Amino acid sequence: MINFINVDCTFRKKAGVKNINFSVNSGEFVFLTGPSGAGKSTILRLIYMDLFPEKGKVIIRNYNSSSIRDREIPYLRRKVGMVFQDFRLLSDRNAYQNVALSLYVSHYKTSEIKKRVYEVLNQVGLGHRVHYRPYELSGGEQQRVAIARALVKEPVVILADEPTGNLDPKVSIELMNLLNKINKRGTAIIVATHNYSLIPRVPGARLIQIDEGKIVSIT
Amino acid sequence: MTVFWFLVREGLKGLIRSKYSGAFSIIIIAISLILVGFGYVGARDTLFLVDNIRAQFDVDIFLHETASDKEINNFEALLDSMIEIQKVHYISPEKAAVKFKKEFGEDIFDMLDYNPLPPSFTISLKPIYRNLTSVEGIASILSKKPGVDEVKYRKKFLILLEKYQRIILITVVSVFAFLALLSIILTSNSIKMTIFSRREVISTMKLVGATNSFVRWPFVIEGTLQGFIASCLAALFIYGVFYLLNNYLQTVIEYKAIISYRFYIGIVISGTLMGLIGSRRAIRKFLK
Repeated sequence: MINFINVDCTFRKKAGVKNINFSVNSGEFVFLTGPSGAGKSTILRLIYMDLFPEKGKVIIRNYNSSSIRDREIPYLRRKVGMVFQDFRLLSDRNAYQNVALSLYVSHYKTSEIKKRVYEVLNQVGLGHRVHYRPYELSGGEQQRVAIARALVKEPVVILADEPTGNLDPKVSIELMNLLNKINKRGTAIIVATHNYSLIPRVPGARLIQIDEGKIVSIT
Repeated sequence: MTVFWFLVREGLKGLIRSKYSGAFSIIIIAISLILVGFGYVGARDTLFLVDNIRAQFDVDIFLHETASDKEINNFEALLDSMIEIQKVHYISPEKAAVKFKKEFGEDIFDMLDYNPLPPSFTISLKPIYRNLTSVEGIASILSKKPGVDEVKYRKKFLILLEKYQRIILITVVSVFAFLALLSIILTSNSIKMTIFSRREVISTMKLVGATNSFVRWPFVIEGTLQGFIASCLAALFIYGVFYLLNNYLQTVIEYKAIISYRFYIGIVISGTLMGLIGSRRAIRKFLK
């Protein structure tokens, strides 16, 4: 489903990634690990085509980085859910509206949007916080809203960039359990993290280790 | 339809959410339109005034005192037949005497025993002939006609008017063009600031898969609404100023601005279009 073939990508003149080759299949759970600045985020950005390789290519289903047109990128992003360390929720709207935004951009009907947003917010355990704004929610709850926003569009993969970076250990574990639960329903998950303690929380997950822009090991 | 209403709602909410930057945009657009509005009226009335001064330009033709009725009639017929002439006004010696009394306050018959004032014609030229070259040509032809004693016109005045009209026209058009350009730049920049303050919304929308046109519409709706509100405020302000001017200050400054409702509609349409075009241009930068 996701293929990196001989990918080189430099980001802002810093070392990005070099000669990256790996693939992720549907329904897999993958950890991308390595120290800060190793190139984990670059790899995620290459997947949602916020960055493009200078050499090689990235293929996500039928989207190819070497041939994709600008106007096709939004359609790719509707198939890829994203979760960030800083949540990136819109502070001027509540949890429901933040999640619904994903469906409005994909031109869903209001009745369908309502049904799916309530469903997914219940799924992440926030059925009782629907009308709360981000600043009224805890860090863990905000990240759950971000996961709901990624999940609601039924993506083929969810990319999580240091999703527990701003959360305490207990909440981090709860969040990993939630991602694991989502994965069990068939959605592939790629988590970029330098927190190695999270890895045992997902038995059977694949591990791709990166250092200085290169893949060190794949297990 | 869901998407349409979502975009309209987003545009309206954006206007409310943007608070200070939105209000700032509205004020800037309104000030720009007020400047352009006053600039337009000023330019229009200055050019109108110059035209008016030119319209008052007459040529006086004095005939010999001895000119017979037949000569006068023939000369009048000649003037009537000339295409350059718009209006012909005959002043008989009697009428000239009355005019003399009116202008100088003394009766010519009290000063002299006879009326020395000759019969004369005052002619107005058609607008395109109210220039020095044409007037000189016409005066030269008429002065050679039988019975004509003298052709008089304000030559120095015409030379001065020709010299300054060009300067006035260039100044007025430049000031108006400068104000219009300034207002477009101010509007575009203030809308850019509004959009810049909401770049977080744009990047989030793009992350969740919004197409460029989906991101663009709420901002264009918001910008258009800002333009509309600002232009209504500007039109109200201009109306208020001219109302005060015409009703309370007219006697002091001896000026009455005549402004039709079309001017105010023009302001509202221009402002709304400025908002629409300005926001479209501004958002383009953030969508790259």
